[in-house]
Amino acid sequence: MLPLCAGLPETGNQKRFEPICAKLLEDDKGSFALNRLTTGGYRFEGKEIVMRELLFRTVQYAGLLVSLAVLCQESAEAQLYNGKELVKPSLVADVDAIQPGQKFRVGVLYRIEPGWHIYWKYSGDSGIPTKIQWQFPEGFKVQDLQWPLPQREKEPGDLEVFDYVSEVLLFADIEAPAKLPAEPISIQAKTDWLVCQNLCVPGHAQLSLNLSGGANAASGSVQIFQKYASLVPKELPAQMKIGFSRVGNDLEISVGGAPAGAPLDFFPVPPSDAVISHVVRDGNKLTVPIETEVKPIKQMDGVLVVGSGESRAGYEVNDHSIIAAVQPEGPTGPAGFRGILQALGFAMIGGLILNVMPCVLPVISLKIFGFVSEAGGRPERAFRLSMAFSLGIISCFALLAVIVVLLKAAGAQVGWGFQFQDYRFIVFIACLIFAFALNLFGVYELSVSAQATQGLAALASGHGYGGAFFQGVFATILATPCTAPFLGTASAFAFAQPGWVTFMIFLFIGLGMALPYLLLAINPKWLRHLPKPGDWMLRLKQVLGFLLIATLLWLAWILGQMRGADAIVRLGAILLIIAILAWIKGSFWTPVSSLRSRILAVVSMLCVLLLAAGAYGFVTRPSQLVWQQFSQATLDKALASGRPVFVDFTADWCITCKTNERFAIDTPKVRQEFSKRNVIALKADWTTGDPEITEILKKHGRAGVPMYLVYPSGSKEAQPVLLPELITSQTVLDALNKT
Amino acid sequence: MIKTLLFICAFLAATAGLTFANAKVGETAPNFTLPDTNGKTRSLADFKGKFVVLEWYQPDCPFVGKHYRSGNMQSLQKEYTAKGVVWLSIDSSAPGEQGNYPAEQLNKIASRDSAARTALLLDPAGDVGRLYGAKTTPDMYIIDPKGTLVYEGAIDDKRSTDLADVKTATNYVKVALDAVMNGKAVPAPATRPYGCSVKYASN
Repeated sequence: MLPLCAGLPETGNQKRFEPICAKLLEDDKGSFALNRLTTGGYRFEGKEIVMRELLFRTVQYAGLLVSLAVLCQESAEAQLYNGKELVKPSLVADVDAIQPGQKFRVGVLYRIEPGWHIYWKYSGDSGIPTKIQWQFPEGFKVQDLQWPLPQREKEPGDLEVFDYVSEVLLFADIEAPAKLPAEPISIQAKTDWLVCQNLCVPGHAQLSLNLSGGANAASGSVQIFQKYASLVPKELPAQMKIGFSRVGNDLEISVGGAPAGAPLDFFPVPPSDAVISHVVRDGNKLTVPIETEVKPIKQMDGVLVVGSGESRAGYEVNDHSIIAAVQPEGPTGPAGFRGILQALGFAMIGGLILNVMPCVLPVISLKIFGFVSEAGGRPERAFRLSMAFSLGIISCFALLAVIVVLLKAAGAQVGWGFQFQDYRFIVFIACLIFAFALNLFGVYELSVSAQATQGLAALASGHGYGGAFFQGVFATILATPCTAPFLGTASAFAFAQPGWVTFMIFLFIGLGMALPYLLLAINPKWLRHLPKPGDWMLRLKQVLGFLLIATLLWLAWILGQMRGADAIVRLGAILLIIAILAWIKGSFWTPVSSLRSRILAVVSMLCVLLLAAGAYGFVTRPSQLVWQQFSQATLDKALASGRPVFVDFTADWCITCKTNERFAIDTPKVRQEFSKRNVIALKADWTTGDPEITEILKKHGRAGVPMYLVYPSGSKEAQPVLLPELITSQTVLDALNKT
Repeated sequence: MIKTLLFICAFLAATAGLTFANAKVGETAPNFTLPDTNGKTRSLADFKGKFVVLEWYQPDCPFVGKHYRSGNMQSLQKEYTAKGVVWLSIDSSAPGEQGNYPAEQLNKIASRDSAARTALLLDPAGDVGRLYGAKTTPDMYIIDPKGTLVYEGAIDDKRSTDLADVKTATNYVKVALDAVMNGKAVPAPATRPYGCSVKYASN
């Protein structure tokens, strides 16, 4: 309708023509929608259609139009695309009449020509977000624009956009003031959009809508509002958790509690000064590669999409939902006051337990007897001496606490988040606990270096309070081979706590460990209640090892919730490596081992690590070639295009296939040649024994994968070159050259 | 066992030597060779020792239109080519897609717009576009005389097709060029480009 009048963009002529256009619009069968004053603003090169339209109108509105047509030409050409109105916007409300203080909704409904799309609030690699500027009478409260869940679409050249097709309603929640303005209540919306197909056309419209005051009356648009409101992302449900962590340039998102089997996706809304790449989806793991950031990005707003097709649901991810997710499941997050008291209690008990470790228990009675004899029958001096000794113990723990707090601060500086929401932290703790459990089982022993022992022994040899203090320090350090498994575990958990809590926990462990000395110094007679050292200590140590393994199970479960079952297997692999390393240490690097044995130990440890790194890279490196999924139809189509075609018949369980892919196919040389020759790469995945693929394998005399077919000339009749099962890059290149 | 070890060594060596295709700020801009609209072959290597601006271009994109109809792009081209900067516009539109024109037609459009670029290069296969990871038209890249990429991203900070925005926008390319040409660091070396998608061939 009336392409001629609407739009008048960018020329500054709008004001001058509006009265004329309004007149024309009224003349035009009187049927124009009140809510549309001006619409559109399309540019394109071919003007024929519009010129025809112009001619027609010119005849219709003879005199008036002659001048207008000349002056309006720029605006007229900016109206339609090939005679089609690509986007028809209209301003709608879910009510016709409003009362003071009433809440209602107003939105712009965009009807979009088939094949075209407009953009979401983050448009992706190209395009720009659709924009709405509201204008309400004074006193109305306008909330943020609500964006229904868009779709993720690929454009040629691996460009990715987030868009809407066919129809969408962008709306806002409005609250009317206590005192309504005079009727009619006029609402205006200025909207700009970019509509694209293979090409893009910008458009804009100034829309208006009149509401009356009075009894709340639902409008004819209520259903549309209901439909689109149900598509707007919801708040993250309580059972679902989302966590972010940075690994180099990647922002990794872990999602816990999502329905099993439902595909996950993340539609990001990055800060405007950041450039990001496409979200990589891998089970419960989502990764946003960050290309450019002005402020370090530690988390990102966006929408978590669960499921696909009709059943997909979007959940809002923002500061609020992330904080909600940080709520601990167990004794994980920052604890409350009661939790802290509890932790301190446990810390003290833990410290007390340290005393029954094999290297500690025998020392207690010796020390107490020492103090009693040094005090020479003065009980209060014996008590003071043991106080000094205890202080020595506690200061060791205070120092350890300071180290932990500093490490944590330094870690935060370089972007390590010591949180249980960060899966890497869980992996780290799991590794530590496992290593300590192995120690408790006696796979290897920890030892304190000889120099440190001697230096401390010199300090501790003095008498008096100073001597007692350093004896406390000395005893603590000498005890580390036995206590390290527990202290290490405690430190790891303490990492997730605020600094002062960490400090308190360590002080209480120290206090717990010092407790027997304090008590026994008061009354040395109690010494007889002390259990006798013996084999039972070793057994106790091993039992505690099993407790650590149980803790490990719990951590593995959390990790699985966050990252899926694969993550548990990966953790298992890491633990296996740790076990091997620990075994090597225990067998070949003991205080009595020869230099040769030690060198052998180091070399074999390095070998294990190298092998592990290689295996890891082999398993996880993603293909850098662009593969299309194979089917006979795709192959025929690819051949028909005249481009060379490479078909890789492979399966996930086929090691030869994977080796070939890594070392012969997905190599820089082959990639370069593929892109130079514009080769279409097809991947035929036989993992589940696809019968269509089985048939083709048979046809070429093969019983299984790998099989490689190269169609160098790319013509349909061409016979493919069949490559051998073990190939090199050169084999592939040679086959391509056989034209 | 030995074979496995060899494979792993080879793999480690291969990953170490790998370089990714997309151009990155701070790294050497990948070389390319393309014909221009006058049939002359241009290679990035030819311009070593000079500042080079790459402008992803196709005449029918409304975002490109904003910067040409307002005269913004031409005045940038004029100002900096006068200062010895090489300005290469690159059209990566695939045959049959928007903005893919024969060279003569592109020359006509250039003279209509009074474009003042050094050359307009034709990349219908989209290889150079993909090499640089060009996403939109316009998408701007600045390369310093050593061949290092010093800027990539948007032309300015007003992400619209509105001609009036040109006057009030901060022009990132100008800011970047003024900085590097005076030996200073680019304040925002990478920004998010905006515009139409580059019209690469669909398979």
